[in-house]
Amino acid sequence: MFRSRKKKQTRKDVHVAQLEAIVGPTEILYEKEDLLSYDCDGFTVHKAMPKAVVFPKNTEEVAAIVRYCSVHDLPFLARGAGTGLSGGAIPLNGEVIISLGKMRNLLSVDYENRQAVVQPGFVNLKLTNSISSKGYYYAPDPSSQYVCTIGGNVAENAGGAHCLKYGVTTNHILGLEVVLPNGEVIEISDGGIPDSPGYDLMGLLTGSEGTLGIVTKITVRILKNPQGKQTVLAYFDNVEDGSRAVSGIISAGIVPAALEMMDKTAIEGVEAGAYPVGHPKDIDALLLIEVDGIKAGIDEQIEEILAVCKSRNVREVKVAESEEERGKWWANRKTGFGAMGAISPDYLVQDGVIPRSKLPEVLKRISEISKESGLRIANIFHAGDGNLHPLILFDSRVPGETEKALEAGTACLKACADVGGSITGEHGVGIEKKEEMRFIFTDEELEAQTRIREVFNPDDLLNKGKLFPTPSRCMDVKKVVKDTVAAK
Amino acid sequence: MAKSLAAQLEEAAPPCADNSSSNYLLMDHPDENKWADCVHCGMCLESCPTYLETGKEQHSPRGRVHLIKSVAEGKLNVNAQFADPVFQCLDCRACTTACPADVDVGGLIEEARGQVRKAMPLKGWKGAVSSFFLKGLFPHPERMQTVSGLLKFYQKSGIQSAVRKTGALNIMPAHLADMEAIMPEVKQPVQKKYKDYKFIPAKGNPKARVAMLTGCIMDVMFSDINESTINVLTHNDNDVVIPKNQTCCGALHVHAGDRDMGRKLAKQNIEAFQGEEKVVVNAAGCGCALKEYPELFKDDPEWKAKAELFSEKVEDISKYLYDTGYEKPISTVNKKITYHDACHLAHGQGVRHEPRQLLQDIPGVEYTEMANADTCCGSAGIYNITNPEMAGAVLERKMENVPDEIEMISMGNPGCMLQMAMGVQKYGRRSEIVHTVQLLDWAYQKDQENIGANQEATSSKG
Repeated sequence: MFRSRKKKQTRKDVHVAQLEAIVGPTEILYEKEDLLSYDCDGFTVHKAMPKAVVFPKNTEEVAAIVRYCSVHDLPFLARGAGTGLSGGAIPLNGEVIISLGKMRNLLSVDYENRQAVVQPGFVNLKLTNSISSKGYYYAPDPSSQYVCTIGGNVAENAGGAHCLKYGVTTNHILGLEVVLPNGEVIEISDGGIPDSPGYDLMGLLTGSEGTLGIVTKITVRILKNPQGKQTVLAYFDNVEDGSRAVSGIISAGIVPAALEMMDKTAIEGVEAGAYPVGHPKDIDALLLIEVDGIKAGIDEQIEEILAVCKSRNVREVKVAESEEERGKWWANRKTGFGAMGAISPDYLVQDGVIPRSKLPEVLKRISEISKESGLRIANIFHAGDGNLHPLILFDSRVPGETEKALEAGTACLKACADVGGSITGEHGVGIEKKEEMRFIFTDEELEAQTRIREVFNPDDLLNKGKLFPTPSRCMDVKKVVKDTVAAK
Repeated sequence: MAKSLAAQLEEAAPPCADNSSSNYLLMDHPDENKWADCVHCGMCLESCPTYLETGKEQHSPRGRVHLIKSVAEGKLNVNAQFADPVFQCLDCRACTTACPADVDVGGLIEEARGQVRKAMPLKGWKGAVSSFFLKGLFPHPERMQTVSGLLKFYQKSGIQSAVRKTGALNIMPAHLADMEAIMPEVKQPVQKKYKDYKFIPAKGNPKARVAMLTGCIMDVMFSDINESTINVLTHNDNDVVIPKNQTCCGALHVHAGDRDMGRKLAKQNIEAFQGEEKVVVNAAGCGCALKEYPELFKDDPEWKAKAELFSEKVEDISKYLYDTGYEKPISTVNKKITYHDACHLAHGQGVRHEPRQLLQDIPGVEYTEMANADTCCGSAGIYNITNPEMAGAVLERKMENVPDEIEMISMGNPGCMLQMAMGVQKYGRRSEIVHTVQLLDWAYQKDQENIGANQEATSSKG
């Protein structure tokens, strides 16, 4: 509709013509210039061109596209807003990308049963915005919630700052409509009845990173706004004190809604970005702590948090005095990753999880990795649940730096795995961490999981080459990754 | 046996075999430092009107930056396929506000347009129309004044009503007919009216002297807003100078990719305002363009320095009044009012609070905030003429956000005023479209009348 230029008169590929027949001429892209915008998502280290991008408007069209691809052996994958950080939507095999951006409606809200039904392309924050006037909200709040889609959240089992208390996406999904890789449409827990008998397919689908099916309708749980909410900002002169304060707060029996930490480099980044708060430049770490719930009791919890911080040599600690101030602190935190652009041309974000008690130890190890690689590493993370996000700052224009950044990232994940942690908290494995899966799973365990995938996705046409290491031996791939990077 | 990752990437058709050299072949190409800050996070997506409308990444800020960068990396050529997303952009700068790393997408777009227009000049009627308006008309105040006279003749002579009655408009493209329908009543340009004045004196003791940019279209279509601006400034004890040699700000040229003309106009304005301490502007688009003059002289240190000096003096009228103090009117304007953020005021210059405060300082004003007040209305310079369909879609979204009972929509940019007036007309709303300073001026005028009436009453008593 909005195309001012005439289409190039290139001879259309037969598959493109058939797909165009399903979605209509304005809802398919197949020329190189148009496809280029789809060669990566929020993970920019690898890029690859899709065969085409299609924009279905409803489940029937998704199913028809999937059926076509399946019959004709065309690899395909689903894409939401493309904000994923592990490369889950990158078309490694020249896939047909099924963009769910046109299926972006809120279908219904049932306040009585506290649930809402959305299409996969519906933006996360829009759900809260649509129901907040009635006093409700949707809990999972990944930092990209301003733009990311709930379909993508389901695929990645997205977390967020507040998952410490409220859990991640899987704890908020009540029902799914899924197009399976053969084009069949199934409903899991139709109507959002919790605890259906039989296997927990919803749990399996949520977080499967788009390898088992394409979600076309989602029933989510919505929550009543907490009665009260208080937010604390604490500045520390050294990271260790900050980490100890985190453990101190949790072991005092408080479950904050959010407990976030940023280190010195991260603070430099967010202060150079678009939402500076005015944090002191010479502090080593800051904590952003939020408590919510029924009004009674919040003040006591805040008192206790302040006391813990003080006992850990906090330099300055303050409670947000207004919603405006609170909003400012959060905007500063939530735009943290993107803000790194202001101090570095590229960054690679890692997503390890560790037991809280190991925080000081692992942070020390990360700072060593930074020294060894010669690259700066900023740490922004959900300290409360031990979910680290080391941001490795590099410049892809400098030969060899991308490689170094990848290595440093792997080393960070190794450090997490070594203390009994995991290689991903919420960003998913995608392309980025598939090799690192070996840090926490044996070959047999990986094999068992691959077999589950084969049940749903026997021809491996859907999002092939993601989530699990492809070649048999780890070292091969490491070399290959280096080669591709060097060839870039 | 599964293929190696390298083989997979190979098969995935690497975008370019030779990415060693840039495909920007001309001077003044997009600035690498501008895209170096973009980490492709996607936080801009939902702020972009064209992405919301199309759902397609190449029509999103991140997608456009990616394409602009790809040309520099040799993966793409400057061709029609590249020009499309670059010219579909409204240049509304909402992405700049949304961006966590302050990437100057607007600046990149303007630079890319410069490359496109040089590599592929507009031909046929589009080229002719564009060069008639942008080269032959807007930069020439005397011709603009002639147009003003002709438009006035069109309106006053009865031709306008005849044209409207005969349905002659039906043969015009729909969006142009829509525009004719909302054409404001043309009055005398202030450039002409005050041509014999050295300056227009402050009402009281002058506290400052400010120079005013009268604008090209502003002074023809909206000379009453210029008049109001002068009144409000002099009312608040400012001497107002209207430099004679000033010209069109060049915003439309830069938006359209004609950066050479933009530079020419910039130089003329920098010289015309030399010696002035403050340059006050009542059109958001013009103000933003003046502030960004240094961008045009990246490769010319001498003029860059001059442009920097100049751009620091530029201020939007609402911000100038807010910063230097203004008299709060006593008379009431009993209207339900909302405010629309012109993109180049809110996103371009960071002016949001000041005009709202101005409005709320007028007694009687019942102010309601509009949802998504800082979303583009689709005017975007001459975008509504070049891309009518998209502009119409964007306008429709905008109008959905205007609260029902609103009597006046206030804003600070003439382009928006025409577009919003079109929206009001098209969707059967009753709201009046006003410039923020007009409201203040009306309130001051009422004050004067009341004082006059009181004095009369007193003197007749005496």
